[in-house]
Amino acid sequence: MAGLSNQRDFDTEFDFDLNQPGTTIIVVELSYQLCHSSAIGLEALRVTVDKLARAYGFLWALRDLNLDLTPGQCVALLGPNGAGKTTLLKLLSGLITPTTGEIRFDGVIFSRSMPELRARVGLLAPSDHLYDNLTARENLTFFSRLYKQSVVPESLDSALEQVGLAERAGDYVANLSSGMKCRLSIAKWMLLQPELLLVDEPYGVLDGSGIRLLENFLKHQCTCGSIVVMASHHVSRALDLCNRVVILSQGRLSFNEAKRQPWPAFETAFSEFLPHGGS
Amino acid sequence: MTLLRQTGLMLWKDTLLELRRRESLLTMFFFGTLLLFVFNFAFDLAPDKIAGMAPGLLWLAFLFTGTLGLAQLFQAERENHNLDALLLSPLDGGALFLAKAAFNLILMVLVEIVVIPLFWILFNLPAWNLLPQIFLVTLLGTVGFCVLGTLMSAITLRARARELLLPLVLFPLMIPVILATIRCMAEVLRTGQFGDQVAWLRLLLGFDVIFLTAGVLIFDWVIES
Repeated sequence: MAGLSNQRDFDTEFDFDLNQPGTTIIVVELSYQLCHSSAIGLEALRVTVDKLARAYGFLWALRDLNLDLTPGQCVALLGPNGAGKTTLLKLLSGLITPTTGEIRFDGVIFSRSMPELRARVGLLAPSDHLYDNLTARENLTFFSRLYKQSVVPESLDSALEQVGLAERAGDYVANLSSGMKCRLSIAKWMLLQPELLLVDEPYGVLDGSGIRLLENFLKHQCTCGSIVVMASHHVSRALDLCNRVVILSQGRLSFNEAKRQPWPAFETAFSEFLPHGGS
Repeated sequence: MTLLRQTGLMLWKDTLLELRRRESLLTMFFFGTLLLFVFNFAFDLAPDKIAGMAPGLLWLAFLFTGTLGLAQLFQAERENHNLDALLLSPLDGGALFLAKAAFNLILMVLVEIVVIPLFWILFNLPAWNLLPQIFLVTLLGTVGFCVLGTLMSAITLRARARELLLPLVLFPLMIPVILATIRCMAEVLRTGQFGDQVAWLRLLLGFDVIFLTAGVLIFDWVIES
């Protein structure tokens, strides 16, 4: 992930006087990754979901959901179709409002009326949220400026290079394949560095190297103290990547545990709530 | 300051997209010109009646061409769920409203710059010296149309038959603007000045200010719901 604008490696060496008796040579190599939270002087985000419910008409898509998301967590959001995964992602991103209950960011109730909180949340929707008739570079410029970030051409180049789109920077998004659009979305969130990154079914359009790229990016985000919530039907991949699993079933929270080995509780939940689960 | 910066950014994006797609402006321009020719063939106006008829015909053309522009106003946001991308971002709803209204205003003014002189030529209107006053009234009316039209366009954004619904919702609310502009333009064409129709001009100005302010204040709520 080297090359991100707000990520630097510092190697610090501490040399001791070798002439002093009893001194052994100590060289401490400190690799410090300057991540977004420390870079912009913010505390790492903590998200609390309290008795959250959302109804569409008379149908409850999500009911009585309690969740506590702490910095550095990578959460796999699993569940069969219609379980409420996308509804939860939309609620967490502020695209829809809860029918009852609330979402708190660092104790503050999250609502769309707070743009400073909205800027801390990202939603990675593969192939979506990009303007077809703008080039890849113009899309990144537009969204960077929208998030009040100064646009450094080198950081745009770096992001495009990391996702393998450096040579397609001047191409219209309409001319990119779905996989390339997903890579561009990854580049977008690499630049914007959200503290809560929501990912909706990312594996469908990516090839092998694209999946590696995405997973490395998500791991890096968690290392930096971000929270990643990824909804996916690709259970084995999600399990490998994430350190917590949340299973939704018919709009209710059925399982919520940190990953461990062995994990009999997950095996039980998997067979009970994901009868048609993926690989 | 943030509001203006975001408005400028959205306007830059919309202008760039229009320059590449060339959908709205060309469609509006050709439709407006076509309407003038249809009016010219349909109405064989005597010189003494033209001053009374011209404002109404001109505004019919502006309303129809403007509605075409409004129907396309959020097209880029409907594609790829880009409206969601904007709602996710810290973009102020007021900035989105101002940018969209300003963009539609630019398109309509560009069309009017061509359509009004063409109207003068086709209907053989002699008073070319009155064009500045006519443009002033038209501009005030167009601002009102764009401001209210942008609001209504956002309200009908998620409706299924939005192209049909938009004029049905918009035109009744536009009656004060249509009435004021037609009265003012007729007076200018008859006497060369606004005379006692200045009150209509004030009404136009008031309409613009009220709906511009309301749009900036409520657009966040409108676009969410």
